[in-house]
Amino acid sequence: MIAPGTAQGVLTGRERAATQVGLRLNLGQRAKQLLYDATGVAVAVVMLFPIYWMVVTAFKPGRDILSLTPKWIPAPFTLENFHDAITRPYFLDDVKNSLIVVGVMLVLGLTTAFLAAVGTARFGFKGRTAFLVMIIGVQMVPLNALIIPLYLMLDRAGQVDALPGVIAIYLAVVLPFMIWTLRGFVANIPVELEESAMIDGCSRVGSFFRITFPLVGPGLVATAIFGFIQAWNEYIVAYVLLSSPNNQTLTIWLASFTTNHGPQWGPLMAGATLTGVPVVAFFLVLQRYLAGGLTAGAVKG
Amino acid sequence: MKLRKASLSVLGLAAALVAAACGGNTGTNNPANQSGTLTVWLMNGSAPQSVVDGVNADFKAKYPNVTVNVEIQQWGEIGTKLDTAFAGSSPPDVIELGNTLVAKYAAAGALEDISGKKSSFDNSGTWLQSLTDSCTVSSKLYCVPYYAGSRAIIYRKDFFTAANVQPPDSMDGLLTVGQKLMSAHSSDPNFSALYFPGKYWYAALPFVWDFGGDIATQSGGKWQGSINSSSSQQGLTKLNSLVAALSRADKTGDEAKQDAAFAQGHIAMIIANGWEVGVITDPKAGDPSLKDKLGAFPIPSHTAGQTAPVFLGGSDLGVAAKSQHRDLANEWVATFTNNKHMTEMATVGGVIPNTTSMLNLGTGINATFYGAAKNSKFVPNSQNWASVENANVLPDMLVKIFTKQQAIPDATASASSRITTLLNGGG
Amino acid sequence: MGLAITAPDLESAPRRPGRFRTNLLPYALISPAVAVIAGILAFPLGMLVWLSLQHYGLRELIAHAGDWVGAGNYLAILADPVFHQVIVRSLLFTLACVALTVILSTLIALLLLKVRQAVRIIVMSALVFVWATPVIVTVDIWQWMFDYEFGVINYLLTSLRVGNFIHHNWFDNPIQGWSVFVVIVVWGAIPFVTITLFAGLLQVPSDVIDAAHVDGAGAWQRFWFVTAPMLKPIFLIVTCLSTIWDFGVFTQIYVMLNARPSADYYTIAIYAYRESFGVTQYGLGAAIAVVLVLVLVLVTFFYVRETVKVAEIA
Repeated sequence: MIAPGTAQGVLTGRERAATQVGLRLNLGQRAKQLLYDATGVAVAVVMLFPIYWMVVTAFKPGRDILSLTPKWIPAPFTLENFHDAITRPYFLDDVKNSLIVVGVMLVLGLTTAFLAAVGTARFGFKGRTAFLVMIIGVQMVPLNALIIPLYLMLDRAGQVDALPGVIAIYLAVVLPFMIWTLRGFVANIPVELEESAMIDGCSRVGSFFRITFPLVGPGLVATAIFGFIQAWNEYIVAYVLLSSPNNQTLTIWLASFTTNHGPQWGPLMAGATLTGVPVVAFFLVLQRYLAGGLTAGAVKG
Repeated sequence: MKLRKASLSVLGLAAALVAAACGGNTGTNNPANQSGTLTVWLMNGSAPQSVVDGVNADFKAKYPNVTVNVEIQQWGEIGTKLDTAFAGSSPPDVIELGNTLVAKYAAAGALEDISGKKSSFDNSGTWLQSLTDSCTVSSKLYCVPYYAGSRAIIYRKDFFTAANVQPPDSMDGLLTVGQKLMSAHSSDPNFSALYFPGKYWYAALPFVWDFGGDIATQSGGKWQGSINSSSSQQGLTKLNSLVAALSRADKTGDEAKQDAAFAQGHIAMIIANGWEVGVITDPKAGDPSLKDKLGAFPIPSHTAGQTAPVFLGGSDLGVAAKSQHRDLANEWVATFTNNKHMTEMATVGGVIPNTTSMLNLGTGINATFYGAAKNSKFVPNSQNWASVENANVLPDMLVKIFTKQQAIPDATASASSRITTLLNGGG
Repeated sequence: MGLAITAPDLESAPRRPGRFRTNLLPYALISPAVAVIAGILAFPLGMLVWLSLQHYGLRELIAHAGDWVGAGNYLAILADPVFHQVIVRSLLFTLACVALTVILSTLIALLLLKVRQAVRIIVMSALVFVWATPVIVTVDIWQWMFDYEFGVINYLLTSLRVGNFIHHNWFDNPIQGWSVFVVIVVWGAIPFVTITLFAGLLQVPSDVIDAAHVDGAGAWQRFWFVTAPMLKPIFLIVTCLSTIWDFGVFTQIYVMLNARPSADYYTIAIYAYRESFGVTQYGLGAAIAVVLVLVLVLVTFFYVRETVKVAEIA
């Protein structure tokens, strides 16, 4: 489960105190607590319902999927949809391509963003404001409007129907957000820490890697998760650029569940569930850093 | 404006001449010596893999040094993908295009003019007229008909028997039969005798055409919307009364789910393509037990004993004007559409072949759909038709009529003027 | 302000001896980012503006030769009544989505402070799952849940006796349809904003809150006068980003309406896309996209100025 890390990792004095006080709650406070908890559960149920519906559908046999009286539980239960989804041609190619695209994009993006974050957080220089405004401004341009220019540019560079072209576009699109988030994390680390390390005999670079880099880890994680979700889920650019079946990504594989005969709901929901799994897994593995990490980034703007 | 267009078409002509001059050489070479790579885009679900493999094997036997990559494309946003691909320097050599899209790309200079090569394709004399029409822009041929789809009414034989009715032979008969079915199932609040989603404009066209109406007419190079003509309105009035009395389908929805809905058992009739029988009885999506309970009959005309003309859907195969291997590409198209493989498309793929000479291949329930293809029509063959489709003019008009937001004369009048503007190249 | 205590003092940084040897270092650090963003986006952005000044149809696109029309496309847009409606609608939609997202997320984040840990785990898990599921997938699910015949929402509302929703069409009436889209967009936006705000709330020093408590401040006053000002940087950035994302909303509406939205459901991003790829007026589509960015610059001017100001101080 996720939140033990999240909650414990960031548990503050205030909350620990609250928990202790909780033991001495009188009846009125207890009722209040129950109300809070019930509201919390209700929020979770409402938020999760669509996801639940997707997963449940993925396990239903065809005839139960579109039924006038909804079936809340998949009974009879079937793995047919999953089998149908993963046995489609090129499934493994598409998984591999998605991982390559996201992986390479993240490595390049995080490195570049980290350098820029240090540059803007640690130094005042002429043009810094312009740079900050630019990275916010760039995010305002809708990607859909750039399809033709991007295609023609990559066509000239011979990168149509090739993963590097897609990686480059994703990188440019996600990078501004990455810089912005990471900048906040770096700004949050006291310079004095680095300086004291330098006094202790570390070189500037050494102190940076020994002190700053580990502290900014949560920021890198938060940024990585955001970038992962963005790139993993993108459809239109990948679809327009990648044509040969062994070059495509998972979102295009998902689109193959919709034929000219209409969507095949069962396999589509199974495929969608499978597509979501790596993102959730990536999230779960790294989540312990996230809440604290996001805080630092966001509070510092 | 006029001057600009004229000079552009001169440029296009010059380009075509140059292209023809360059392309001529490869044809005279010995096939065995030709080499290169052909890229073919086919749409998801159009041809069975076994047919494509057979075509490539035959092609390989003739051109051993040519590699053919058949790439299956997905439907979502295919228009956007085609636009960018044709704008690029190396579009695919052979492209499957929905027949309503050809005119747009042909008129923009994306496709090679193959008028001179027509006779090199099997059955070119007996191609289905509506498909040939879709490939013809300004009397020039830009693509080869690939396959067709035509609609008829799929019905539940068991419901008909229980209500003691027969497939009707006129539109009035259709209403009577439907009403009898409705009263036989009056206890089922989800029952539709004829399930007709509001945006299903392909299925609305037969009613317009049957009364002599049309979407638009052309005279002197100018298009004039005619969906508001009195005969068009007559057809839509008839359709409206059928929908009001017989359909509980979503009046603002489209036909994408009609097969799954039909398989749920609360529908007696749908207007559908032949292949939809397979979707209805598919064990994963539908109900296989319906296999023996399904029948089909043509959409009846308002004149008893006749059938209404239906919209002929389908796909064509075009060769990109920018292709480096236009002759090879046409050779591949010729192989794909030759007698042998077209027969396979019909028998294995279950689609209506591109030639009238093979319409007898339809057997059983399919015979009805093959027959319907004989009495078929097509949308206005204008390069701007895709704009009319993309602007949702007809679906929006139908929704307004069925939901009673607008009366038929008003809804058709505004749709018609929009069609006139769009077909003549306005925004 | 408590949060700024540990922040490095950047304004005075350059004056400190030994901080860095050369003024070129920061430029070297941002240069890869500038190279990537400019190298990949400069040409497309320039071409977008150039396209917006041309008459550019499919024929021109294939031949790579348009006709210069100067401001013609922009004048056409400004004279287009549909466009005015689309702008107003997009702005209202953005306002509703951003306001609801921020308010609901704040409430959920505050609630997370109050609930017991087990419940917090449950809520956080739910948020994470929602956030991690691809948008194109969630839209498919929502489309299906709101379906006219087979939709579970209609079934639920009917069986909960909210009314008769059998065969209810949610997109018949644009006000209802837009409400559905607000729900979908806000639902998708809540996880990111809530998690961000919750993390920020945990950093609000408890002694400050306690002091306010002692001073007799009510819950609302404590939030409004103590907590909210401290979270200002977070509120600024999430509001700014939400505005950008919601104003450019495309996928949710486009996919939900089967890629064929009627004019009642055009957002500015859909309108730009439709003009480009629907009716092959790429010049006009580009001009609409440029106007979209200009409107966004106007709308977010205040946020961006404040956000950058906060960043400058930090």
